[in-house]
Amino acid sequence: MISSPSLMIEARGVEKWYPNGFHALRGVDLCVHQGEVVVIMGPSGSGKSTFLRTFNAMEDFQKGSIVVDGIEISDDLRRIDAIRREVGMVFQQFNLFPHLTVLDNLTLAPVKVRKRPKAEVERQALELLERVGIAEQAHKFPGQLSGGQQQRVAIARSLCMEPRIMLFDEPTSALDPEMVQEVLAVMQELARDGMTMVVVSHEVRFARKVASRVVLMADGEVVEVAPPQQFFTNPRHERSKQFLSQIS
Amino acid sequence: MTSRSEVTPWWRNRRYLPWLVQGAVALVIGVVVAFLLTNLLLNLTARGLLLSWSWLGQPAGFDLAETILPFDASLPYWRAMLAGLVNTLRVVIAGLVGATVLGTLIGTASFSSNGLLRRLARVYVEVIRNIPLLLQLIFWYFVVFLALPNGRDALQLPGLVLAKSGLFLGSPELVDGVWQAPLRFTVEFGALLTGLVVYTAAFIAEVVRGGIASVPKGQWEAASSLGFPPLLTLRRIVLPQALRVIVPGLNSQYISLAKNSSLAVACGFTDLYSVSETTLNQTGRAIEVMLILLGSYLVIDLVISALMNGLNGLVQLRER
Amino acid sequence: MATTPPLVVRASPLRRLQKELFGSRLDGLISIALLAALLAAGLGFFRWALFQAQWAVLSANSTLFAVGRYPVEQQWRLWLLTTLLALATGFSWGLLRAFPGSGAGRALWPRNDRWAAAILVVLALWRPMALQLTIAIQVRWWGIAGLLLLARWAAGRYGPAIPQACRRLIPLLWPLLYLVGMVLISGGLGLVQVPPSEWGGLLLTVLMATFAILLCFPLGVLLALGRRSELPLLRWGSVIYIEFIRGAPLITLLFLGQNILGFLLPGGLSPDRVWRAAWVLTFFAAAYVAEAVRSGLVAVPAGQLEAARSLGLPVPLALVHVVLPQALRVALPATVGQFITLLQDTTLLSLIGLLDLLGTARTVMANPMFLGKNAEVYLVLAILFWSCCAALGLGSRALETRLNPHSPSAPQA
Repeated sequence: MISSPSLMIEARGVEKWYPNGFHALRGVDLCVHQGEVVVIMGPSGSGKSTFLRTFNAMEDFQKGSIVVDGIEISDDLRRIDAIRREVGMVFQQFNLFPHLTVLDNLTLAPVKVRKRPKAEVERQALELLERVGIAEQAHKFPGQLSGGQQQRVAIARSLCMEPRIMLFDEPTSALDPEMVQEVLAVMQELARDGMTMVVVSHEVRFARKVASRVVLMADGEVVEVAPPQQFFTNPRHERSKQFLSQIS
Repeated sequence: MTSRSEVTPWWRNRRYLPWLVQGAVALVIGVVVAFLLTNLLLNLTARGLLLSWSWLGQPAGFDLAETILPFDASLPYWRAMLAGLVNTLRVVIAGLVGATVLGTLIGTASFSSNGLLRRLARVYVEVIRNIPLLLQLIFWYFVVFLALPNGRDALQLPGLVLAKSGLFLGSPELVDGVWQAPLRFTVEFGALLTGLVVYTAAFIAEVVRGGIASVPKGQWEAASSLGFPPLLTLRRIVLPQALRVIVPGLNSQYISLAKNSSLAVACGFTDLYSVSETTLNQTGRAIEVMLILLGSYLVIDLVISALMNGLNGLVQLRER
Repeated sequence: MATTPPLVVRASPLRRLQKELFGSRLDGLISIALLAALLAAGLGFFRWALFQAQWAVLSANSTLFAVGRYPVEQQWRLWLLTTLLALATGFSWGLLRAFPGSGAGRALWPRNDRWAAAILVVLALWRPMALQLTIAIQVRWWGIAGLLLLARWAAGRYGPAIPQACRRLIPLLWPLLYLVGMVLISGGLGLVQVPPSEWGGLLLTVLMATFAILLCFPLGVLLALGRRSELPLLRWGSVIYIEFIRGAPLITLLFLGQNILGFLLPGGLSPDRVWRAAWVLTFFAAAYVAEAVRSGLVAVPAGQLEAARSLGLPVPLALVHVVLPQALRVALPATVGQFITLLQDTTLLSLIGLLDLLGTARTVMANPMFLGKNAEVYLVLAILFWSCCAALGLGSRALETRLNPHSPSAPQA
């Protein structure tokens, strides 16, 4: 019996209303298996970032259920903390801690949250920095790095917590064009090494090359889910065709 | 497999936790306040000093050294406090005007083409800011104003005579060795006013300087390329824009001056605080006097803030 | 034909002076008027200072100004404390230079330090003599100044040799010293009790200021956090407290503390007036510090807390390690400004009958023997306060540069 790869994220019927009454998520489902790279695309306001952020409980939801790595998201703070330890997140605005060096940015969480000894964490951090290609910047401050370098540090920082899932919220949207590639290259390598990734992005070439599946969201709903070859060349829904014509 | 959702214990539930925290804080505050209030009531009852306002109608039994409203020892307490309030308002209003004028002069002097003037302005601000106001007030009162000569030796300037018996404005004339004039101020008032104006002007100068500095240099350059002389540039182009930043800063300085006027007691000037202190010492009615005192200053602050907010609305740029 | 680039001639100092002071006719007139006024004032001042002023009032009362009515036979404790403070200051100063923050130079005795040391030596040698203190006391001051510089030199030289484990304990030095100081001053642990009513002069001023500064800071931070909280009770509670305090003149609150506190506590219990005033100062300053810290908190982008939470850091740890360090850096100038104001506000204690530095000065001047000698005393007091406040201001600016060697990062979009 071939055991199917374990289900990392299982979202069913998720609905969210903002306090002002806006219906942001209208019953969305998604299953993400281990090792998959799911790219979520869609027009702005479609709820894709909001949906992404429900996976690590950064956004709450009123209806439906989400199970992440076997733990169901509820109001239990202990569970939420457990989920956040296993799920890494990379933000559009990098959000590096400017008062700490690059190395300290990486080691802060593992030392304080996982209570690992500092020397060991530093060793791992330097390896990670090597992996994303900026080991020599370890003792600089974020303000001294370029945007592309900062985002790579942000990726390394999340990786230092040894997450099982990585979420990317428009990681290259705030970068100058010439720096987008260096970040995408790192993400590609991450995917090659088998990381489970959910990426909200507009980068079509990246999705074509790396994604296992592409999800199109619009107006708070999942419109279409398909492998990239099928999605980009032969989308089934009208909305998908409309979206693709807008972005190409 | 999905885990069954068990009931989350309340101490870990992120929905309930904020309310629990607030409840705990409210409980602690409630207990402390209840404790203090109970003691307050017990102690007040023991001394027969329960909250009442009728004592305000009783004769004051003390005189005020200086007052515009007519007052003597037989008049009730509330009139004494009113006279004190009027004195406070007198010195605050005069102080606001004087400090603004002086502060603006010094603040703009930091941008003068004269190097000496710029440096003197800087020195003024740095020196005055770092010496306690009370010390300055006492200096003005004891060392300067009380040392003024009297009678014929008094300091005589055009239209103004400065003597130990007071400051005389208008056309002062010496009558039987005593000065008389239509407008007369005591040295206490003079010392308090001078001290407040000198001190607050230093801070207002910094606010004005910051405001003018916030106007982009391009404005100066554009004006001079159009042929404006520097003073006109300042008045018509830079200052109106600087006011956007200056007015909010002035608000806090004005409130500060109003509160600092309570140091009048060091100059022997009978302002609201000074009268309240005497009243409290005589009647022992601490709670009521405190309420009146704090309430009055609060109202003064609110009025100043309201006026400045109105001014702020006028001064902000209308953007698209 | 090649043209030579224009030569840039550096104007001589004299020429620059002329340009600054006499640039235009109006400037010239202003300069002349100002110089004349300054000259007249300066001459008048020096004439007074050298010939008319009687500085005896200071030397005759130097002990009173320094420590109030502290019992003479217990004053050795204060000397001990001063010595400890000098050692700690020198030590910290030296360590600061031995471990420069990133970006600063590695000079062990930079120019500013040499100036500071020179001024210290001059003061230590001249002031006790000018105050006509006894030789025994003069020698003690020389000793203390010497110890300070010695500690500075030793820390600078041997600082790096201190093992890492001990180095982590060093920041505890000052709180420990504070506690030791309190015991030395007030008594207990085998030392004779000296009640607060006998503390006075500079001792009382410094004690009140340090007490209030140390306590108002954490209180202010808590209030600022409460003000920014989403929980309505905490937010409104903080707002009401802060606005109430900010609307009231300090003297009324001190007065309130002195009079009403007796009513608020169970009959008979009445803490010493000095402590009442100390707590009022603390609660007063906390409201202002809260506003300063709040402006710092506002400057920290919301993404910082988000990123910290997404890494799994619980809220308290996220605040302590990520948000507050950034917020406090921004709020530093305003906060130190409040500390300076607090130091100046201690003078108000003289208005409620406490004998701080100003209060002591006024009682001295009430003494018939020294009647009319006000100006000398006030001048010295003014210089004293001014130096402390200016020094604090300089220190704050130095600390700012040290903490912000690189500006905070912003997405380079």
